[in-house]
Amino acid sequence: MLADDGYLIERLRNGDEVAFEELVEHHAAPLLAVTRRILRDEEEARDAVQETFVAAFRGIGEFNSESRVSTWLHRIAVNCALMKLRIRARREKDVDALLPAFEADGHQQQSSVGWTETAEEILQREQARALVRRCIDQLPEPYRIVLVLRDIEQLPADVVAEKLQITRDNLKVKLHRARQALRTLLDPHMRGAL
Amino acid sequence: MSHVTCIELIAFLDSYVDDELDAETRVSFDLHLLVCPSCRAYLASYRETIELVRGTAEKEEELAHDAPPELIEAMKKVRK
Repeated sequence: MLADDGYLIERLRNGDEVAFEELVEHHAAPLLAVTRRILRDEEEARDAVQETFVAAFRGIGEFNSESRVSTWLHRIAVNCALMKLRIRARREKDVDALLPAFEADGHQQQSSVGWTETAEEILQREQARALVRRCIDQLPEPYRIVLVLRDIEQLPADVVAEKLQITRDNLKVKLHRARQALRTLLDPHMRGAL
Repeated sequence: MSHVTCIELIAFLDSYVDDELDAETRVSFDLHLLVCPSCRAYLASYRETIELVRGTAEKEEELAHDAPPELIEAMKKVRK
C-alpha cells in the first residue's frame, strides 16, 4: 500500500467527508474509462462507477492494507460492470466467419499480406484509434468481453475465467478467436494507409 | 520433428506468441515460418492487433483526465 493510500483509507474509515470526495475526484475518470470499455453504454458505465464508490465505501473495512486503492477500486468496478453485462444477457454469437479459412492440405485459402505501418505509428492518429475501437465493438459480446478483460484490463487468466464462469481452456480459446476475428476486421484498413 | 502446416500454426499461434510451446514444437513452428511468407505476415499482424488493442486503451486512459462534473457531484451526494 502506498503511504498516501494508507492515510486516505484511515480518514475514510473515520468517516472523513473530504477523504471520500478526494477518492471520487482522483479515481472517477479512470474507473469510468474501465466501465465504458466493458459496457459500451454511457449511462450504464456511469451507473457502474457510482455503484463502485458505494460498494467501496461500504466495504472499506474489508480493504486489504497490502493492496493499492486503485487496484481495489478497479476490481470492484469490473465486478459492477460485469453484473450489468450479465443482466443485459446478450445472445451469444460466434466468430467463425471472421476466422481464417484453410485448404484441405492445411494451407491458408487466402494468403495473408503484411500491414504497412506499425501499431505505434497507427496509434498516433485519433482517427485510427477510433477505427480500432469500432472494430473491437463489432466483436460478438462473449469474445469482446474476453479481449477487454485480458488484453486491455490485463486481469490474470484465472480471475477472468472465474468472473465469466468458464474454464481456463475455454477462456484461452475465446481470447485467441477474439484476436483473430479482430485481426480480420482490421486487415482491410491496415493493408493501406489509414 | 513433425511437419507443421498453416492451419496448425495458426491454431496455436497464441501459445507461440506467449512462449508456451515445448522446445521441439517451437522449432517446427519456426521452420514453417521461415518458408511461409503468408504465416509470417499473419503472425506479424496478429502481434500488431494485440498492440493496437492495448495501445488504444492506454491512449484512452491518457485522455481520460476528467470525469463529467455532474457525475462527480452525484457521487459525492451518495456519501452524504
